[in-house]
Amino acid sequence: MKKIDNFVKHTFKNIPKEGKEDIIKSVSEALIEKVEDLIEKGLSEQEAIDKTVIEFGTVEDYFDNFQKLEKKKKRQKTINHYKNDLLFSVVGSLIIIAIVLFVNLTYAPSTLWFVIPSIAILYWPLAILYNLLNKKENKRGDKDE
Amino acid sequence: MINSDIIRGHLESVILKLIIEKDMYGYEISNCIAERTQDRFNIKEATLYSVIGRLQKKDLIAPYMGEKSHGGKRRYYKITPLGLAYYEQKLTEWTEIKDVLETLLEDKS
Repeated sequence: MKKIDNFVKHTFKNIPKEGKEDIIKSVSEALIEKVEDLIEKGLSEQEAIDKTVIEFGTVEDYFDNFQKLEKKKKRQKTINHYKNDLLFSVVGSLIIIAIVLFVNLTYAPSTLWFVIPSIAILYWPLAILYNLLNKKENKRGDKDE
Repeated sequence: MINSDIIRGHLESVILKLIIEKDMYGYEISNCIAERTQDRFNIKEATLYSVIGRLQKKDLIAPYMGEKSHGGKRRYYKITPLGLAYYEQKLTEWTEIKDVLETLLEDKS
C-alpha cells in the first residue's frame, strides 16, 4: 500500500503544516480500506489502487467545502478587531489632544502650539482607518473572484 | 452527475444521517450515497474525508477500530449524543429550507 501512502503525501504536500500529519494519516487509512474492499470485490491490486486514486479528486475538493467559510469568518474577525482599534485610537487621541489643549490654554494662551502635537497624534487613528479600509477592500476583491 | 452547491451545503447532515442509521467506515459511506441516489450524486472522496474529519473534530462522530470479517481492521464511525442533537437541528433547518423553496418555486394555481 506504499503507492497509496505516496499518493496521499503527494496530494497534500502543499497544505499548511497544522493538522497535515493527521489529514495524511486518516486519508491514507481510509483509502487503503477502500483498496482492500475493491480487491475483495475481485479487482486486482493495481486496478484497485488506480480506481481509488482516480476517484479521490483533488486537494481543492478536500478544502473547498469549509476552508472558504473559515477564511471568511476569520477576515470578519480581523475587521471587527480593527474597528475596535479605531474606536480606541479615536478616543485615545481625543483625550491626549484635550490634555494638550488644556496645558496650552493654562500656561500660554497667546501661542496656540497645541495644534502641532495634535496633528502628530491624529496620525494614529488615521493609520488604523487606512488599515481597516484596506482590509475591507480586500474582502470585496475576494468576493468578486 | 450533479454537483450542486445545495447538496454540498448539507453534506454534514447527509453523513450524520447515514452514521446514525448504522456505524460505517469511510468507503462504505461513499458507496451508500452512490447506491441510494442511484449514482445521481457521487461524493468525491476528498470531500467526504474532509467532512468526516470536520465532524470528528467537532465531536459529532467518534471513530473506533472495528474488525472486518477477514483480518483487516476498519475505522468505523459512530454517532455521539452531540451529533444526534446537531442532526436534529440541521434536519429542522432543512425542512424549513425545502418548504420555503417549494413555496417560492412551485407554480401558483
